[in-house]
Amino acid sequence: MASTGYEAARRLEGGELNGGRMSKETQHGHGRTAHNVSSSSLRKKSDLALVSKVRCRFLRALLANLQEIFLGTKLSVLFPAVPLAVAASYFNFGRAWLFALSLLGLAPLAERVSFLTEQIAYYTGPTVGGLLNATCGNATELIIALFALREGKIEVVKCSLVGSVLSNLLLVLGTSLFFGGLANLHKEQFYDRKQADVNTGLLLLGALCHILLLMFGYATNSGEHAAVDAVRRLALSRACSVGMLLAYVAYLFFQLKTHRQLFETKEGDEDNGDGVSEDEPVIGFPCAVAWLVGMTTVIAALSEYVVGTIEAASDSWGISVSFISIILLPIVGNAAEHAGAIIFAFKNKLDITLGVSLGSATQISMFVVPLSVIVAWIMGIEMDLDLKLLETGSLIMAILVIAFTLQDGTAHYLKGLVPLLCYIAIAACFYVYRSPNQTNKGALITAA
Amino acid sequence: MRINLTVHFRCTADNLAAMASTGYEAARRLEAGNPKGGAGSHGTTHGHIHGHCHGRTAHNMSSSSLRKKSDLSLVSKVRCGLLRTILTNLQEILLGTKLFILFPAVPLAIAANYLHFGRAWLFALSLLGLTPLAERVSFLTEQIAHYTGPTVGGLLNATCGNATELIIALFALHRGKIEVVKCSLVGSILSNLLLVLGSSLFLGGIANLHKEQSFDRKQADVNTGLLLLGALCHILSFAYEHAVSSGEHSADASPGLGLSRACSILMLLAYVAYLFFQLKTHRQLFESEEEEDDDNDDAVAQDEAVIGFPSALAWLLGMTAVIAILSEYVVATIEAASDSWGISVRFISIILLPIVGNAAEHAGAIIFAFKNMLDITLGVSLGSATQISMFVVPLSVIVAWIMGIKMDLDLEVLETGSLIMAILITAFTLQDGTSHYLKGLVPLLCYLAIGACFFVSKPRPNQINDVNAGALTTST
Repeated sequence: MASTGYEAARRLEGGELNGGRMSKETQHGHGRTAHNVSSSSLRKKSDLALVSKVRCRFLRALLANLQEIFLGTKLSVLFPAVPLAVAASYFNFGRAWLFALSLLGLAPLAERVSFLTEQIAYYTGPTVGGLLNATCGNATELIIALFALREGKIEVVKCSLVGSVLSNLLLVLGTSLFFGGLANLHKEQFYDRKQADVNTGLLLLGALCHILLLMFGYATNSGEHAAVDAVRRLALSRACSVGMLLAYVAYLFFQLKTHRQLFETKEGDEDNGDGVSEDEPVIGFPCAVAWLVGMTTVIAALSEYVVGTIEAASDSWGISVSFISIILLPIVGNAAEHAGAIIFAFKNKLDITLGVSLGSATQISMFVVPLSVIVAWIMGIEMDLDLKLLETGSLIMAILVIAFTLQDGTAHYLKGLVPLLCYIAIAACFYVYRSPNQTNKGALITAA
Repeated sequence: MRINLTVHFRCTADNLAAMASTGYEAARRLEAGNPKGGAGSHGTTHGHIHGHCHGRTAHNMSSSSLRKKSDLSLVSKVRCGLLRTILTNLQEILLGTKLFILFPAVPLAIAANYLHFGRAWLFALSLLGLTPLAERVSFLTEQIAHYTGPTVGGLLNATCGNATELIIALFALHRGKIEVVKCSLVGSILSNLLLVLGSSLFLGGIANLHKEQSFDRKQADVNTGLLLLGALCHILSFAYEHAVSSGEHSADASPGLGLSRACSILMLLAYVAYLFFQLKTHRQLFESEEEEDDDNDDAVAQDEAVIGFPSALAWLLGMTAVIAILSEYVVATIEAASDSWGISVRFISIILLPIVGNAAEHAGAIIFAFKNMLDITLGVSLGSATQISMFVVPLSVIVAWIMGIKMDLDLEVLETGSLIMAILITAFTLQDGTSHYLKGLVPLLCYLAIGACFFVSKPRPNQINDVNAGALTTST
């Protein structure tokens, strides 16, 4: 009942006007992970004064919910892109337009999904909440990958996931450290390197699996048993994916149970002037679940448009599909997290920045990628972990650059500039790269 | 007292109009006034001075280890003032280093060119002559830095520190020997990272076997990050060429040219940021710490210039011209030397050229490792490697672009792999801020392994045509 949820929220806000701000609640409520804190930087505190004037209670509840959901973020300006995209699909605007509008619409939806996940986490307790956050935190990438798999565009899947990892590691982290370093030029910048070490180790495991597949392909390339080797490569990919999922489960156990303290954000004298520090939910549980399901459906619809029109956009704009998948898609999909990471770097809270960027990269590398392989297995599609030489080389170098950058626990602006320039170099490389068999993708490969 | 004299000397230096004699007089006065000043009070007041004149960077400190204190007593007996001045200058410049025994190689090389000795002899003599000249150029740069202040001095040092490699690269480009350029620059990075650093840490570790050896790892981190950026650009070019050449676009001789040029601009941007970081915002990471019980009996600790500014400038230009001549001989005769000695051009470019070009820095780094001043050793070796990777290499690509030569960042498999491994080994070795001799032995053996690899690797089939390539590739 939306009304009950609204009443509960109202009561909480009315009764404890200053209660919500006390950070002592964190021990007792649920620890705020980096993702939660970061997303809160984009929230706007909803001014419910206007809505409360509406007489009818039911309508008031509905409007309050709507205002909380739709206007509760600074990214709400992009929301009109959602109906526009749907309209573009039905009225047959240019397919490139459909692609662009769908992309723009995905950005605020992704942010709202993470907000709703956080709200639900209030009701379910820290562990399930953390799990939810970990799973739904990259819902956009996951949904795009599954749709692309369904249409058989395996290269798009691989490229978009690698691009997401690269974007998180180099672009988000680089810009955050760079701007944060310039803003805090004369201060010491510290962070806890244990968290960075955990993530780096897992990323290296993922990179190893990709490298093994790549080298396996090279080693068996010159043999005469091409078909057998392809089967073996597929089996190896699937085995590695199971291994990666095991590592991810262990990582979740580590992060949510045994070593929570490494990942809790320290909130000392935190001023949340810009963000809304909510220690109590603002919408009811059934309401949140309903909105979550609804938003995920809309994300699915937009993702389908994106995947369907990617080649048309590529032809229309004159840039390769791999560039769009590796560079453009992830930048848009990560936009909310990116903004949050930069804001917290400005405030010299690098633990949160690292938690957001590295955590996302680890989730995609250890969860979304192997999950895609397993789902493809179930669907009978031959997807393996073999990225091409360029993507694998970029991935390895990105992980190495970040590992060396973060290994001493301090930061300055040059530490942000180097990953940023690395990302620009990689983007330039993919911009000029035209895959030789690019035009043959899109054909369905449904051999079992 | 010492500070006052320095200030006084500066005023004097600023006033003189290219009178080397006044510089000599001032130096004389300083030396006469402080017979033990050079060695004694230096130690106590040095810490205060260096914040206020110009911080002595690692390069400056390292070069000073090869200086000899000039004994001007002999020259002062000469009656004629002008002759005395000229002789003092000459003594300071030509005899002021322990490497001066190699100086006769310079005129011998020129003679070899005109009297048509064997071309292999010309190559060897030019190489030998380059060593002391490179050291003198860095000395002159340091002298000029006394006049221009710390920032410009640091910039000068950063740019001219690798003048030899830069000039050789430009000459080789001019003749179209692109592989020589790439190989010599990669070899320079490898030599700095593995050979210089390895031998310094090894010998320094053995000499200081029972002492704690520590250094500030922040400086190493900055350099490692930049080196990784450079390595990424090489890998991207290499992978791109490899990926495209396996497709249908193999008709184009150098498909990754645009990418290489874009990456070169990025690398130059990174270098400018690095200079800004090193000279402006985070100076304190790079100033060399000078302990109070610093004994500089061997080296001349100079906080004042010993030659005048116009004199130093003139000598610098002169020496650079001689370096240019010798470099031209080296680049022209490299194939002849390769045939004559039976080793590949690749090996000569990657191993021999950099060893000779780096000899002065190498000696300085080892000396400072012996004295357990590892920050200076690291500053010299890592700083040189970063400068070559982030400045000389992209500059060569840009200059080639201007000259219409197709040079890209694509090294071959062996060179790229060696570069990556060298950077990784150095990064891991230096990551904890301490050192011992095994940390030096490992990079040293890596360098020997890489050297052996290039020694036995056969020259590539199109290597002989490099000389002719310059005539053909004049289109962009």
